[in-house]
Amino acid sequence: MKLHRLWLTDFRNYQKADLEIAPGGLTVIVGDNGTGKTSLLEGIGYLASLGSFRGSPREALVRRGAPAATVRAEATRAGRRLLLEAEVRLAGLDRVLVNRQPLRRVRDLLGAIQVSVFSPDDLTLVKGGPSERRRYLDAALVALHPRNDALCSDVDRVLRQRAALLKQAGGRSSTDVERTLDVWDAKLGAAGEALAEAREALVAMLEPEVAKAYDQVAGTAAVTSVRYVRSWEGPLGDALGVARQQDLRRGANTIGPQRDEVELQLEGLPARTHASQGEQRSLALALRLATHAVLAGTAGEPPVLLLDDVFSELDEDRAGALLAHLPAGQAVLTTTGALPPGVDPALRVRVHDGRIL
Amino acid sequence: MYAGPVQGLIDELGRLPGVGPKSAQRIAFHLLKLSKEDAQRLSAAINEVKERVSFCRRCFNVAEVAAEGDGDALCELCGDARRDATVVCVVEEPRDIVAVEKTQEFSGRYHVLQGAINPIEGVGPDQLRVRELLSRIEGEGITEVILCTNPNIEGEATAMYLARLLSPLGVKTTRIASGLPVGGDLEYADELTLGRALSGRREVEG
Repeated sequence: MKLHRLWLTDFRNYQKADLEIAPGGLTVIVGDNGTGKTSLLEGIGYLASLGSFRGSPREALVRRGAPAATVRAEATRAGRRLLLEAEVRLAGLDRVLVNRQPLRRVRDLLGAIQVSVFSPDDLTLVKGGPSERRRYLDAALVALHPRNDALCSDVDRVLRQRAALLKQAGGRSSTDVERTLDVWDAKLGAAGEALAEAREALVAMLEPEVAKAYDQVAGTAAVTSVRYVRSWEGPLGDALGVARQQDLRRGANTIGPQRDEVELQLEGLPARTHASQGEQRSLALALRLATHAVLAGTAGEPPVLLLDDVFSELDEDRAGALLAHLPAGQAVLTTTGALPPGVDPALRVRVHDGRIL
Repeated sequence: MYAGPVQGLIDELGRLPGVGPKSAQRIAFHLLKLSKEDAQRLSAAINEVKERVSFCRRCFNVAEVAAEGDGDALCELCGDARRDATVVCVVEEPRDIVAVEKTQEFSGRYHVLQGAINPIEGVGPDQLRVRELLSRIEGEGITEVILCTNPNIEGEATAMYLARLLSPLGVKTTRIASGLPVGGDLEYADELTLGRALSGRREVEG
């Protein structure tokens, strides 16, 4: 897959933007802080995941005063020229077009282009709570197979329905509540089990890649481990039955894929609490490189790398190691100015005050 | 804000499903421009449904009330003696009956639940016409129940709930199949639908 051009209309602080992307190698976007460098990457990311990789709500993506933002990109995939277009509306559903034909369902756009995002926030993958790591896994699952998007939203919907029912029960049980809970348990049992299995399969693919990438980035050999830890034992359907009294008492879902953890270890110790700041940075980078490798391996074509201001966060050794091991393919990088030695951009673009110069 | 009656109209329209503030405003100004006769015809139509239409006492479809308006109406379908009274098709809303009727594949009776199990919206089995369905099974000699709720999370949960409730009653319970649109190409089918169609495949008689 190749990305040729990106157009933004009323997206973030851009009234209009037209960004050319180098056909191979590194496209560097230079500009001061707050001028709209990341927004360009965010636009590309939006077409890949139909959301902001910064986790921003859609209101934040639409330029103030405009009813909708448009993100459009020209790409080639398997020899086919694609014009991808997403209209991000303040109210209502997005409108999505491929080669000017509207897609019946917005989520059918998923999988049209793939990206791997590296951002200064990645450190939270290691230092943050378990929800950060689950979000990381789920995003990779959707990129790997768009069908997983439906699985994730099914689990989410069932969880919200079950939580609403538990809350309404007010700690009391009745045959009516029990009967309805039986149904939601069966639904959550099936969907939750499927999601946990998909995440475990992904973790198994990621682990060797994380180990390899960590050694490259850190420059030393270390033992890393990535382990998916379920919040229940045995079949989820049965475990929900056991947890029912507890769930009713607390008025919340106490087990399920929304409570699972992805344990990261370095030299046999939890990385979140025992690794140094530098080791945590290396591990976060290794996680991103690992999903990139897995995606490239399954899709046959490497995703476009989006490197958001990564050098501000990395010391010279790690930055150098990252650049040395950047997988082949297209990469778009933002920076406030300085590039580490040895970087040779194929294209350099300057951004100032919501305009591409 | 507009002058009293105009704002009142906008507010009322805005309470309708699927009508946001902007649409409400647009419709209101359209109504303002209507001739008096047109406007009165609309308001008469609204009054008439409220006076002459209620829910069928048997299946909870929409039904026309008899002249005296006692509220004990039977809908057209329940009143039709040619329909098979032993098979009942359970749907969420009256509009789903219209959809099934268009197929001309079903000649039994219906039962409208008036919704689906949806705790987020505060809808449990008690808010649906579930008890009425159970009493119909025994009272009307029903032998098959077709669960025709929507193929989404809430519809599937409702179907499962009913299936579990019905199984001890010894009545045959079926769920509509989900699959591919007729006349479509496999190439354009979405993965989810195609996956379901595959798992629900049938043996072909050779």
